[in-house]
Amino acid sequence: MPTNLVINGEDRISSRGSMTPLIDVLRDEFFLTGAKVACREGVCGACTVHLDGRPVVSCLVPLGTVEGRDVRTVESLAVAGEPSPLQLIMEEHDVVQCGMCFPGILMVLTSFFQERPHAERDEIKAALVGNICRCTGYERLVDAAVALARRS
Amino acid sequence: MATADPSGAVMNLPRRDARDKLLGRTRYTVDRMPPRLLHAAVLRSEIASARIIRIDTTRARRMPGVRAIALAEDAPGMHGIGIADHPLFASGVIRFHGEQIAAVAADTYEQAQAAARAIEVELEPLPPVLTMADALAPGAPLVHPDWKSYEILFEGGARGGNVAWEATVIRGDTDAAFARDDVVIVESSFRVGRQNHVSLEGRAVVATYEDGRYHIETSTQVPWTVRNMTSKLLGVPASQVHVTVPPVGGAFGQKFDCTLEPYAAILARKSGQPVRLVYSRQEEMLTCLCRENADIKIRSAVTKEGEIVGREAVVLMDCGAYGGEQIFLTTMTAHTLGGNYKLGSIKLATRAIYTNTPPNGAFRACNGVYNTFALECHTDEICEAIGMDPLEFKRRNVLGDGDLGATGQVFEGDVLGPMLDRMERLREKSPSRKHLAGDRLYGRATVVGTWFIFVGPSTATINLNADGSATLITAGVELGQGTMVQALPQIVAHELGIHPDDVVVRNADTDAAGFDLGVGGGRTTVSVGAASVAAAADVRNKILKIASELLQTPPDRLVLRDGRVEIAGIEGSGTTIAKVVQRAHQVTGPVVGSGSFANPGAPAMPGCAAGHFIDAIDIPVFNVHDCEVAVDPETGHVEILSYKVVQ
Repeated sequence: MPTNLVINGEDRISSRGSMTPLIDVLRDEFFLTGAKVACREGVCGACTVHLDGRPVVSCLVPLGTVEGRDVRTVESLAVAGEPSPLQLIMEEHDVVQCGMCFPGILMVLTSFFQERPHAERDEIKAALVGNICRCTGYERLVDAAVALARRS
Repeated sequence: MATADPSGAVMNLPRRDARDKLLGRTRYTVDRMPPRLLHAAVLRSEIASARIIRIDTTRARRMPGVRAIALAEDAPGMHGIGIADHPLFASGVIRFHGEQIAAVAADTYEQAQAAARAIEVELEPLPPVLTMADALAPGAPLVHPDWKSYEILFEGGARGGNVAWEATVIRGDTDAAFARDDVVIVESSFRVGRQNHVSLEGRAVVATYEDGRYHIETSTQVPWTVRNMTSKLLGVPASQVHVTVPPVGGAFGQKFDCTLEPYAAILARKSGQPVRLVYSRQEEMLTCLCRENADIKIRSAVTKEGEIVGREAVVLMDCGAYGGEQIFLTTMTAHTLGGNYKLGSIKLATRAIYTNTPPNGAFRACNGVYNTFALECHTDEICEAIGMDPLEFKRRNVLGDGDLGATGQVFEGDVLGPMLDRMERLREKSPSRKHLAGDRLYGRATVVGTWFIFVGPSTATINLNADGSATLITAGVELGQGTMVQALPQIVAHELGIHPDDVVVRNADTDAAGFDLGVGGGRTTVSVGAASVAAAADVRNKILKIASELLQTPPDRLVLRDGRVEIAGIEGSGTTIAKVVQRAHQVTGPVVGSGSFANPGAPAMPGCAAGHFIDAIDIPVFNVHDCEVAVDPETGHVEILSYKVVQ
């Protein structure tokens, strides 16, 4: 049975099986390759997207559970091609290395800052506990996030 | 000859790939899905050692969606470093759990997996050797009974039975040193486990076969190795293999070898369609080319005054079922475990040992991480035995100007000593944070380390375009380290007096760029950078010659700056580089320059080292680290309380 869902504000229909992980639908069917498949076990956070505004690891979300729901991916953060303040501050602080972890990290932090715009360093680190960066760029990443929290 | 104005160099250049990586638009190899794409799956052995009796693909070929199956007969060649001991598919025998038996391409990944499972394989299990101790026991089964028949690619290593390779260092008389009656003898031994890189983008490839050539688009550090090894394994001319490299999502040494590319290449040729092979995380964990597990035994003869008169060590490195990178890495013990300190005499033996386990590979500062750990722990044990403060011991013994390294290489300049002094001042400035450890275990160490820039050949070509921009063509790869998006544009821009934004850097492409050893060992900025400097000098000479005629001024009075050629000291007197190139189009043709780089070739002492791929280190890199840690004895949680680096 087809599944209706809203992806980055657009109505979409997927005919994949109900147990298909959401990440595969996003990447293989709609070519939204921003979110990454890295572990398929919910450990690394690289596939994080927003489901009804909450961050979820999309490798562990079966398609059958998202009927009628709102999905947002990293591709939705920029508005009319203009990066979000979070994306801009990561660029300013020269945080990016290989870049594979960022789609997930940005989705986690975007959601986190909506609730805690003035968060302190330790809270930011705690928020990122589910995201692995193998280039180990954590400190600079947290520095940038702290700078954003102080600016807002 | 006029040179570029150093004041024009652009520092702190933002990464040009950051924006798309943050927007989720960067297309890594795993994100590339061309039309008509087939998906590949690999059938792997589930036991560690066996004889292959029969492989039957009849049923698998009839499975839905199956387009091609690749087997050992499709890849007759063997590859390796030092010894060609590694077939693409298990051939006749299985040597490790996870070894590749067959590969299938189908319309979907699930169909490919189902067909791989449907291949019938009859095996006769054999007793495996799973540890180095098992492999070296008298009468142990041989992982490679035919080891004597293998093609030798590099001469000099001692081999035999399950010893894939031995590299040795002998300098001076250690027997005499250990027999002295004025020395304390300290012996230490260490064992370290394997380590997996877990790059977030695992190994991945998309291959096509068109016009009689393979095009391999892959997540690798070594495009030229992939080209050459694919050619060797498939038994086709290397000129038929074309390798390109999209942005790489982490590598850390794991992708310093050719691994999955040939499977996709064979399947693409057989099916006539693009084939994608992406290893699952499970496959990555099973066959990742880990940093090897190793056993290190080291002993030293030291006087009460702290002079190291003799040092002996044996390092066993588990290379797994095939020699691979470990054959080369036996070389490195001389410069890691045998490094840092002045030694009156030294005797080292490093052996790569075959076991029925997955092959190992390169990993950041290969061989150096555990050998530095072992050496510095051993140094602490020496200091305890002779009652000397470790920092004082290190200051007396670190290599200085004119001192000999393990292989008799003469070091130049006092580097480590002043770095230790600098670290001592840093330590004095900031008090210990031991109190933060509370009830947890606390430890502190100040250690010295030597690593090196792994140089080797590189080449670069620069096209200077009629709009004043430059296109740099190399086989360098962007792994996240920044070389291709920051360092190289900065270097070329500085040499040509243009802005880095006007330097286009082409992604690695073996059809466009000449040979390169690959990205690893900190070599790309140095080696590709040096080749780029040479190419830029070639370009600069050409444009200065033309500008000299245009401006009626000798070339040595011309300066390149801000995209212009100026007469030195007279601002605004010259013309734009773009206009000079446009003039070149009329008189000499488009402006192109090329440059190359090779090892400087530091000498070692003749006769010291055997079985070594490099006898001396060309560009040594020294560092001093100081760290305080707290460890929770119940959970094992480690907290770094302070960390200081002098390098």
